[in-house]
Amino acid sequence: MTIALPDTALHRRAGSLTRHINSGVVIFLVLFAAVALKQPSYIEPAGFMNFLRRAAPLGVLAAGQVFVLVSGGFDLSVGSLITLSVLGASMITGGDPSLTGAAIAALYGIGVAVGLINGIAVAFLKVPSIIATLGTLLSVNGVAMMWSGGSPRGYLPDNFRAFGRFVFRDVPLVGQLPLSVIVLAIVAVLAWWGLHGTVFGRRVFAVGDNPRAAELAGIRVDLTRISAFVISALSAVTAGIMLGGFGGVSTDVGQGLELQAIAACVIGGAQLMGGRGSITGVVFGALSLFALFTLLNLLGLPQALRDTAQGLILISAVASGAYRQRTGG
Amino acid sequence: MTLALQPARRRHRAFSVPLLLFIGSAALYLCAALWTQSLNQLSAEGIVGLLQRTVALGTVALGQTLVILCASIDLSVGSMISVGAVLASFIMRGAPAMMVPAVLVVLLVAAGVGAINGLVIAKLKVSPLIATLGSGLILQGVLSSGFNNFAGSVPPAFQAVAYGAIGPLPWSVLGLGLLALGVSWLLRSTRFGAHLYAVGGNAAGARLAGIRTDRVIVQAHTLCSLFAGLTGLYLASRLRSGAPWVGRDGVYDLESIAVVVIGGTMLAGGRGGVWGTIAGVLLFAVIDASFNMLGVPAFPKQVIRGAIVIAAVAVYSLRNKGHVA
Amino acid sequence: MTSVLSPALEMIGISKSFPGVRALEDVSFECRPGEVHAICGENGAGKSTLMKILGGIYRPDGGEIRIKGQPASFAHPVEARRAGIGIIHQELSLLPDRSVAENIVLGAEPTRRGVLDRTAMRAGAREILARLQSSIEVDARAGDLSLAEQQMVEIAKALASKPSILVMDEPTAALDDSEASRLLDLVRRLRRDSVAVVYVSHRMPEIAAISDRVTVLKDGRKVLTDRTEAMPTGRLVRCMVGRDLEEFFPPRGAADGGVLLQVNEGGNATISDINLTVRRGEVVGVAGLEGAGKSALARAIFGDRPFTRGTMQLNGQPFAPRSSRDGIRAGVGFLPDDRKREGLALGQSLRDNAALTLRAFARALALPSAGAMGNLTLDQRLRALDVRAARFDDPIRLLSGGNQQKVIIARWLARDPQLLIFAEPTRGIDVAAKAAIYAIIRDLANRGRGILMISSDLPEVVGVSDRVVVMHEGRIVGECPSGASEEDVMALAVGHGGSVAEPASACGS
Repeated sequence: MTIALPDTALHRRAGSLTRHINSGVVIFLVLFAAVALKQPSYIEPAGFMNFLRRAAPLGVLAAGQVFVLVSGGFDLSVGSLITLSVLGASMITGGDPSLTGAAIAALYGIGVAVGLINGIAVAFLKVPSIIATLGTLLSVNGVAMMWSGGSPRGYLPDNFRAFGRFVFRDVPLVGQLPLSVIVLAIVAVLAWWGLHGTVFGRRVFAVGDNPRAAELAGIRVDLTRISAFVISALSAVTAGIMLGGFGGVSTDVGQGLELQAIAACVIGGAQLMGGRGSITGVVFGALSLFALFTLLNLLGLPQALRDTAQGLILISAVASGAYRQRTGG
Repeated sequence: MTLALQPARRRHRAFSVPLLLFIGSAALYLCAALWTQSLNQLSAEGIVGLLQRTVALGTVALGQTLVILCASIDLSVGSMISVGAVLASFIMRGAPAMMVPAVLVVLLVAAGVGAINGLVIAKLKVSPLIATLGSGLILQGVLSSGFNNFAGSVPPAFQAVAYGAIGPLPWSVLGLGLLALGVSWLLRSTRFGAHLYAVGGNAAGARLAGIRTDRVIVQAHTLCSLFAGLTGLYLASRLRSGAPWVGRDGVYDLESIAVVVIGGTMLAGGRGGVWGTIAGVLLFAVIDASFNMLGVPAFPKQVIRGAIVIAAVAVYSLRNKGHVA
Repeated sequence: MTSVLSPALEMIGISKSFPGVRALEDVSFECRPGEVHAICGENGAGKSTLMKILGGIYRPDGGEIRIKGQPASFAHPVEARRAGIGIIHQELSLLPDRSVAENIVLGAEPTRRGVLDRTAMRAGAREILARLQSSIEVDARAGDLSLAEQQMVEIAKALASKPSILVMDEPTAALDDSEASRLLDLVRRLRRDSVAVVYVSHRMPEIAAISDRVTVLKDGRKVLTDRTEAMPTGRLVRCMVGRDLEEFFPPRGAADGGVLLQVNEGGNATISDINLTVRRGEVVGVAGLEGAGKSALARAIFGDRPFTRGTMQLNGQPFAPRSSRDGIRAGVGFLPDDRKREGLALGQSLRDNAALTLRAFARALALPSAGAMGNLTLDQRLRALDVRAARFDDPIRLLSGGNQQKVIIARWLARDPQLLIFAEPTRGIDVAAKAAIYAIIRDLANRGRGILMISSDLPEVVGVSDRVVVMHEGRIVGECPSGASEEDVMALAVGHGGSVAEPASACGS
């Protein structure tokens, strides 16, 4: 027996207003305001663009990770895939600029392979994704070390590093425009289209919400899951290429980035265990997390506290989500 | 609830998982030693060495068994081990007088962390994966911001934990054996054990039967973190000092889960036991020793280990018709 | 009646709402020691919610519970148990991997100096099972027992705490005749021991045989409480349904279409020797006890848990689906019995849920709102089925069961399948929506679709179907024509009447 409660309509109207303002955007504005208060140069165009440039790889990574999260899984292998991309690029090119194109093609091939392995382990071997991707994290890291002999070797050609460090000068309005910000924008648009503008995206939501119902409705749950892992792996390779341009070759360039990406998604309103998330949200979530790190730096706190902050974010986001679900809000 | 829908008369238990693993491990070890002509590995000394490799992973895995039995999981054990190791050697600073206080502090901190994990999972209804991933990050962050290298040292008297022996049998191996017996008794002969299986097997049913499921989960997590703390103490003793990366370098989170699953304890909870886990730990130690005998370098070893973990979990979960994510 | 005895249990003015549904409103009843008080009502009338409140699983929004005159409130099942309430739940809650003895004493394990006393545990379990005249072995693994045996263990579990108030929530749902009659004997003995028994059921003969008083619930409200002698079955049914059954079910059509589905000797791990025909324009009901294999039959035809033996033809073509996707592609639709777990993506919108199957077969990179998946078309379809929601892009979890079910129907109608399988189509749905769903089912049949309707609800399966196929222990044991009585169907369902060798042997006519 359904008895419409009198205040529901009003309640919903108010709800729909707040629903369209993403938590990630709000949190970003607050955190960035705090950063700007501490260090006003961040609100100047050059400062802001530089901030965006450094935050871009995390944004790219989060835009890929959110596909896996919405589908109900986790991809913890992306950090080691980034390391593999950077080390692999230096091994393939050996500093030769003419090999950059081949290197990038090879890296995306590797990315597809890692994504397929993750997806198949989860969808067909039925290994929970957190364990499967932790396993590939180990293996991919091992491959990276094997390839490079355990220490960073070689260097990256300048045309490869351009994705991370090239900046267009004298751009109207903003003054300068880093190439990595353009990459972030393109990735975000593509990811937005994929998740919100296609039938595939709606399938990802359905699979994450209730895989059994999706299966009984005829959706190929396995293929949808595998595609999500491949997308996440491709975004990791992209982020790796950008990061190679930032810091050069090192063996720990990707370490911990998987959890940063997940934290960014959670800040942006993605629901762990599936069914909810948006690209706008997670990109702003990544910017928020980066703003938080910047703030911790400006406050002179140790780098390691970043981990602590991420841990608190993860737990409190999931706890508040669980609370909302219990109270039916 | 779901079980009742399929009253299929399954007749399993035709073989015992622990026994099979023990035999398999022994056979693998023997083959590797004979193949590589490393006959010294088959001596009493070699075998004691092998058993010593099981102590650290075995201790964490016992705790992990408890939480997995009640359908939870603990991904924070790696960080907890680092915290235990660093805290122990930092408090001791080589002074024998500080041994007892250091051990007490480590165990208290560990119990506290475990209780908080359990409360976050049971009361705030955070999925155990996230809760413990998060608490691991928090611990690691706090630890790494305070220490960035080996901190302090443990006195020689404390090193006896790892290096002392009675006759040919090291204290540490004996300790692991006693711990395993203790946990096995806990599971078989106490209410806590019975309730742990109940919560893992059918949480709603356990609640209906009047079991305080929240309390059981908190207790299991407290014990699990305590075991991680013990592992930290053991590593501090073996390495003579603790560093903030000892837990992460050992990949104890993933490997403790993997050996529990290999030992036949279901990730979904409610089924399994201690001896499977111990057998799984032995198998990992044997694989490790065999790699060494065969001269497999460190990095390929890492690649294969990741693959083994996935394969091991897959062997058990393949039968599962439902979806996992 | 011995009205001098003060009630062992009183529930006064109990109300309870869930998001979108008012499950109970101002319900009161009492039960005296040594009395069997039947609570009856249709599926969704609020019986189970009321019992869950009594058991400490839900907390009431309003009202009061009194035990022996003292107000009581339960925040956890353990508190209800301590107050002397034992509950046999509808859903089995056994631990499959533990022994029968361990299950029976669960939560109240005997210990000696802190150590489990296994001897006492097994002795206690044996004693309780003996009282139930059951021969179940206490060391058996609970998961290896048959459904009826599991039900017995469940009952033993409730008795283990020696309750003074015993609640039995549809305890005979999985039992055959002799098991059910042993259970009724037990209830009589408990009554002699002055236990207050609250007996929830919708089986009329049982209520008449066992209870002293009856309370009827309908749509979450109490209709009346009266002495059982004063409630002949006809009056009881009218109270429960609120109108005569005839006007509740749509008139049958004239099914003279050709054969749509033919199953020959179908079987898999759960069911065997399935021979079944569904014609166009026909509603074929499938009845049987819980665990008789009805749901497995539906899933096998759909392709979700396929047949491993035998053959099928759909529209005269060989039909051997290996997955639900195969089934859908060939023109079959399936509405699962467990809506929440298998039917709905609860966090997604009505429109998304309605478009699920279309999107499963659309091009992956097409716009999600292209063509038939467009919002306008979806909304039209939802309105045509009279789905009531504030907004069609609200998450579907906010809707009542009836509206959720209509959205799932809309999902399938978009594909226009030849054969639609409804499993428990009105479970947990209010009466008005029930009638609407029956009308939709009949309308589909009239438009030449074949309908297979799996149902545990006897009045429903008898009232809606053109033919009723009855299952028992994984086999089809007989068939009843339209207009058969509930008793005929029940006789077959508990294993009497039709013989296994001749599945088509009809009841009576």
